[in-house]
Amino acid sequence: MDPWEYKPARDLGMPLHKRLRSSERESGLLEKIGNRVWSAAIAAFLRWGEQLTVEGREHLPTKLPFVLTANHSSHLDVFVLASVLTADLRAHVFPLAAGDTFFTTPVLAALSAGFLNALPIWRKTGAGRHAIEELRDRLINEPCGFILFPEGTRTRTGKMGPFKAGMGMLVAGTSVPVIPCHVRGTFEAWPANAKTPKSGHPIHLRIGPAMSFAHVQNHRDGWHEAASTLEKAIELLSE
Amino acid sequence: MDDATRQRLFGWSHAFDHPLVKGAVIAVSVALLFAPILFWTLTATNKLNPTLRKELWARYFSWLLLVPMMFVPILLGAAWTIAAVCIMSLLCYREFARATGIFRDSITSGVVVVGILAVYFAVADNWYAFFVALTPLTIAVIAATALIRDQPKGYIQRVALGVLAFLLFGVCYGHLGFFANDQNFRSLLVWLIINVELNDIFAYIIEKKMGHRKLAPNTSPNKTLAGSIGALVLTTTLTALTGHLVFRGSGLDRVHHLIILGLLMSATGQLGDLTLSSIKRDLGIKDWAATFPGHGGLLDRFNSMLFAAPAIFHYVGYYQGIGLDQWRRIFTGG
Repeated sequence: MDPWEYKPARDLGMPLHKRLRSSERESGLLEKIGNRVWSAAIAAFLRWGEQLTVEGREHLPTKLPFVLTANHSSHLDVFVLASVLTADLRAHVFPLAAGDTFFTTPVLAALSAGFLNALPIWRKTGAGRHAIEELRDRLINEPCGFILFPEGTRTRTGKMGPFKAGMGMLVAGTSVPVIPCHVRGTFEAWPANAKTPKSGHPIHLRIGPAMSFAHVQNHRDGWHEAASTLEKAIELLSE
Repeated sequence: MDDATRQRLFGWSHAFDHPLVKGAVIAVSVALLFAPILFWTLTATNKLNPTLRKELWARYFSWLLLVPMMFVPILLGAAWTIAAVCIMSLLCYREFARATGIFRDSITSGVVVVGILAVYFAVADNWYAFFVALTPLTIAVIAATALIRDQPKGYIQRVALGVLAFLLFGVCYGHLGFFANDQNFRSLLVWLIINVELNDIFAYIIEKKMGHRKLAPNTSPNKTLAGSIGALVLTTTLTALTGHLVFRGSGLDRVHHLIILGLLMSATGQLGDLTLSSIKRDLGIKDWAATFPGHGGLLDRFNSMLFAAPAIFHYVGYYQGIGLDQWRRIFTGG
């Protein structure tokens, strides 16, 4: 018989308010149920309210770990990407969200964690590098999946912005597959300057073949190279 | 549902009828009121080092939260008591699941939660046969549903952790809830909770003041033999004296029964504490959670109740029965 192996929750011993805002957070039964119900409701809205169409499903990952990346036009993007994953995979997939937007108050943090299953990236606290290293470790060793928007923020013009090197820091030198996606129509359905989404705007998701950055060095030049390669791949998908 | 049952479940007008309940609420309130004065006096006379002072204040603020959590539902009625014990069981299971990692197995974890909820349904229904039947039934369901993923690797660990969790937090704590089916549930529960909690406090104070011989140094490094024996003597005495008020006029109101109840309460209280400490050491963690400053998690505070509740329940049940004169199967009929 193999020896028993205990793996306590990564966030064990953290008070609730810290746990919700930590990139070490692990979801329990209640959060998983909340996330599943919310995902089903959003998937129904996208399918019937926004007429979501998907191209390239064959490129979707079937096992962990992986990183799903796309251009970022709207809050709807994360739901579009999450909706195409199987329920079993989705429980282990975390959208990476800006801590200073989605985790500012305890209520917002609880909603982002409970419904979106999001993990925060703190952009303005100077702890970004360390946090990304923790996320990289989690991605490889847990393993899990991430949904990531390498532009770092939603476009205000509808055009894709330059990709940040943070995405490269997550995957450079690893064999974790990165799946490039392009989302069209979410800018019209829920742009950054609108408070609520509008229904009736067709959304199209195009999924490209998985990319590997195992050959890329895990340092500054490698991170930029990975970001730039991915940016070109997503630009190609937009055509 | 007859009037007596409705009154027991939801009526709070008789909350302070029993002298022990009234006395305990006054005593605890006075203790919480005067504790800061004692801390300030000890600090002013330099009898508290900064570490101990900080720990005592943290524990005091946690007690300010814990005392109403324990007593208000009991005073409000049996339905509130059962609901509160059910929530406590679920939260304790959550701490256990996160510490052992069993929470990652959603199927086993879900079955344990459903099993715990079923136990409290049986408790609220005053359906003892179903309460008893749930142990083998839930164990069978845990073992069977663990097959769903078709992953033999780790099967024994997953099932064993699920079964242990259900037995500890469903069955053992369920006995605490089942006391609420007795007409005198308020005095029984207040007596049990106060004495089990004081048992912990007696042991803590004595091990701080005297005795160097460790009780189980690898399991719980701070516990001393003197603390354990001291708690056994003091708790047995207090339990027997207050037990006379609870069981007045019944077959249990005899010296030997009251002493046995006291010994049982102290010994099982300490065993519950040591058992959970042993699990924590095995896992390599200090506290179950960080819910209550100075205490840790709910499980760190209520571990002593795990074995004390079923032990006292069955002793009292054997000699005089619990809730036998009450309406049974309240919701299911039959």
